[in-house]
Amino acid sequence: MTSQSSVSPPGSAGEGKQAPVRNSDYYVNGVLAADRLVLSKTITLMESSLPEHQEMALDVVERLLPHTGKAIRLGITGVPGGGKSTFIETLGMKLIEAGHRVAVIAVDPSSKISGGSIMGDKTRMQFLSAQENAFVRPAATGQTLGGVARKTRESMLICEAAGFDVVIVETVGVGQLETTVASMVDFFLVLMIPGAGDELQGIKRGILELADAIVINKADGDNLTKARLAQREYETALHLVNPRSPDWRPPVLTCSALEKTGIDEVWDVVLRHREKLGATGELEARRREQVFEWTWFLVDEGLREWFYKNAGTKTLLPAIKKKIGSGVITPTRAARELLETITGKE
Amino acid sequence: MVNHPREKEWEEKAKKELKERPLDSIVWETPEGIQVNPLYTAEDLNRIDHADTLPGLPPYVRGPMATMYAGRPWTIRQYAGFSTARESNEFYRKSLAAGQAGLSIAFDLPTHRGYDSDHPRVAGDVGKAGVAVDSIEDMKILFDRIPLDKMSVSMTMNGAVLPILGGYIVAAEEQGVSHELLTGTIQNDILKEYLTRNTYIYPPQPSMRIVSDIMAYCSKEMPRFNTVSISGYHMMEAGADTVLQTAFTLADGLEYVRAALRAGMDIDAFAPRLSFFFGVGMSFFMNIAMLRAARLLWHRLMSVFNPKNPRSSMLRTHCQTSGWSLTEQDPYNNIIRTTLECMSAVLGGTQSLHTNSFDEAVGLPTDFSAHIARNTQLIVQEESKVCHAIDPLGGSYYVEMLTTMIVDEAQKIIDEIEEMGGMTKAIESGMPKMRIEEAAARKQARIDQGIEAIIGVNRYATDDKVDFEVREVPDYIRNEQVERLAELRKMRDNKEVERTLAELTHAAESGGNLLEATLPAVRARATVGEISNALEVVFGRFVATTLCISGVYASEYRDTTVIESLRKRAARFVETEGRRPRILLTKMGQDGHDRGVKVVATAFADLGFDVDISPMFQTPEEAARMAVENDVHLVGVSSLAAGHKILVPDLMRRLSENGGEEIMVIVGGVIPPKDYQFLYDAGVVGIFGPGTSIIESANKVLNILENRH
Repeated sequence: MTSQSSVSPPGSAGEGKQAPVRNSDYYVNGVLAADRLVLSKTITLMESSLPEHQEMALDVVERLLPHTGKAIRLGITGVPGGGKSTFIETLGMKLIEAGHRVAVIAVDPSSKISGGSIMGDKTRMQFLSAQENAFVRPAATGQTLGGVARKTRESMLICEAAGFDVVIVETVGVGQLETTVASMVDFFLVLMIPGAGDELQGIKRGILELADAIVINKADGDNLTKARLAQREYETALHLVNPRSPDWRPPVLTCSALEKTGIDEVWDVVLRHREKLGATGELEARRREQVFEWTWFLVDEGLREWFYKNAGTKTLLPAIKKKIGSGVITPTRAARELLETITGKE
Repeated sequence: MVNHPREKEWEEKAKKELKERPLDSIVWETPEGIQVNPLYTAEDLNRIDHADTLPGLPPYVRGPMATMYAGRPWTIRQYAGFSTARESNEFYRKSLAAGQAGLSIAFDLPTHRGYDSDHPRVAGDVGKAGVAVDSIEDMKILFDRIPLDKMSVSMTMNGAVLPILGGYIVAAEEQGVSHELLTGTIQNDILKEYLTRNTYIYPPQPSMRIVSDIMAYCSKEMPRFNTVSISGYHMMEAGADTVLQTAFTLADGLEYVRAALRAGMDIDAFAPRLSFFFGVGMSFFMNIAMLRAARLLWHRLMSVFNPKNPRSSMLRTHCQTSGWSLTEQDPYNNIIRTTLECMSAVLGGTQSLHTNSFDEAVGLPTDFSAHIARNTQLIVQEESKVCHAIDPLGGSYYVEMLTTMIVDEAQKIIDEIEEMGGMTKAIESGMPKMRIEEAAARKQARIDQGIEAIIGVNRYATDDKVDFEVREVPDYIRNEQVERLAELRKMRDNKEVERTLAELTHAAESGGNLLEATLPAVRARATVGEISNALEVVFGRFVATTLCISGVYASEYRDTTVIESLRKRAARFVETEGRRPRILLTKMGQDGHDRGVKVVATAFADLGFDVDISPMFQTPEEAARMAVENDVHLVGVSSLAAGHKILVPDLMRRLSENGGEEIMVIVGGVIPPKDYQFLYDAGVVGIFGPGTSIIESANKVLNILENRH
């Protein structure tokens, strides 16, 4: 598997400029030495869709793997405009003052239509970004759930290998991505704001099931009463949801990232969760479970990709589509016929 | 379409003239989204309440004065300032001798943001987009041989308004001029800074306190001085159409009125000293109508407060022609544009006017271009005979209808803002900024498609290059200022400086009029930076949240094949490179003009780029670090305030130091042609001046990326 040969790295040098030889040693040693430049290059390598980059990235991440696992993995999601970036900025600064090294993977959605994205989250964490002990990397989701899942997960591992002991993954609270992020972190925090009409703000009930804590941000000024009200409503809502763990009932907290109040309490909850589930062995079990889930996720993705690339499927697909459309065959029959192109008739 | 007894006859004739085209095709949908008929009639006019009113009388739609220019023409007030106080002073005295009637001072960006010239964050900005003022000593030189008891002085200052207004007052004191004789205007309009120009220092709430403290102080001490100039100009420059400009400006005005009332002042004590500042763009009749609509609306809005003094609800305004409408290509066209905009402002009934110099799309005005700009107004005022007429367009079916439509549309937005709880709340929500940015992105898309014509840019472009001189502020200006500061700090009584600054900090904590508390510090020779800092320790420094819109550019761009072909190019890039082209867009130094960078960001994302956007006011080191950490292919620097020759080479050096030597740099904005080679020599791979279409620049960027191996 190990490929020591140098491939043209992503975003490589212009003419006449010197580029270092970028083999997997370059990446692995650089990350382990916490070299920011190499750390950033390694994430780019891992994000690349080119097969030769993916091959090398696989090797690099594999070699980094023994150096991972020691960080606190924190997932943060919430509605757009809920102040996630400001929250992370404030929390991150506090953690750094307390001697932690903090990495943030800020995931922004790519447009389904153009494929492009605007990554503005880091801009809203400008003090944290400037810290020597912080690393903030904005990433676009790209077009497939599988893609963003893999990239986010491996970015997290690379940051851990570079010695960051708190890794935060930030996502916008829409769609399936949350489930995926929740399945790669130790603690999944859902950030809400008070008084945006319907208190459940279009966030799916499903997200509440994943939450290890709900935090109502912007509990300041005129919002204070509304925040308390929202807190009670979420507490009620959470009672109707099956908890993820028998030993942990997700609390609902309030804070103001702007006024820097209530942030210590949030971190205390993360630590308490860690202590409690660490003691019962659940935390470790959760991580183990996540690795299995991850494997099966990859198998699913692989099967799907293989299926659509299969020559038989490709030839049969247009005709089948037509038949389903005109109601000549049932979807069940159509699916069976398609699957038979790869399994052969039984 | 036409309200007239002979409607049918007209329509038949019109249809014949139009041949194939339907009658509806000559209805105009303005950028404001208003459907405007090409023809209106007396019947339309009959339905307008304000049509039969008089100038000088409510609702002032026909002008605040009864005699308007027939009694006294508008004030020719050219905004200027650059380099050191001494050089600006010389320029002012020359201009006054050549027919200018009032002074209007442009300060440099470090001064606006409350930094002294020796502050590490301002290396590229000292004396560039205005005059560098660090203390009362600079202020005294700025007004040397200009009698402040006779000269009306307008100062564009919002962030560091206390040390600068304080400096002006103390400069007058030291000329022997007492406070009550001072006439002029301080912009002091902080709300719009959070919307567009970004030259704020403190968060909104303490900033609003500064505004009302100034109103309170001046209403007692300087009764002839305008304490706030509520400005829509910068909104227009950022992309606002006439409706947005009117609505947001008046909503800002309402907010100041309420702040002063809350501070316990009587409406008639301050409202007569509120003045306005509108930007006038190329849409000739719309801009005339905008000024008339604004006067009518302001009267309506102010009536609620029951003022006794009629001047309290009378909107008086300064106007400036649009800098954004000027082009780098075929630049002498700009003289004609400015003339038209000048006519708009005059026919709209402005009280004073600045006309731009034709070279402002590429650099700072020279003596020559400033001379032409001034003469534009002199010719309109003294040769064209327009001044004999009072509101010559009053009763024009067309203009009166436009006026009514702008009033109605702006009123809707003002109502919306009122529902949100006023402009401060609206600004916090990000609504006004998003609306302006959306209007800007749409306008850019229309221009890029040639729907909105710009002669010499998207129509009738010429390859002939015009060569003209551009003013350059030499970099040693900063050293001069730094030396003067060092000297000042040695000469003055530092004990007294510390004492007065401590008192100012105390006033900030415990209440008390902040302008009053600033004056002793100014007299003691405390610097602009020190005074600003004495307040910052209490108030903090405001950090803006960067929000971005998306999808707007592409949706306004009707030719989808152009958009699609670029998206395909970006997708092909992924196939060969393994990821999308990724670009960091950044603004370095104290230049807060973010229209360009925001429009490019949203459009590039629409075209399939991954776009990182940096915070405002970056140092080159910070921008370089962000570029390397995000591992972008390219950094796009937006520069509109003449800092590029210092900041860009510094960025290149920092990129190298951080291991980002592979990251390429492009520059956009106001770059004098003679600096192009300098930037290329420094390693810049592309320069995009004003008027570059986004489609063209995106294609060029992809060319650069594809050819880099």
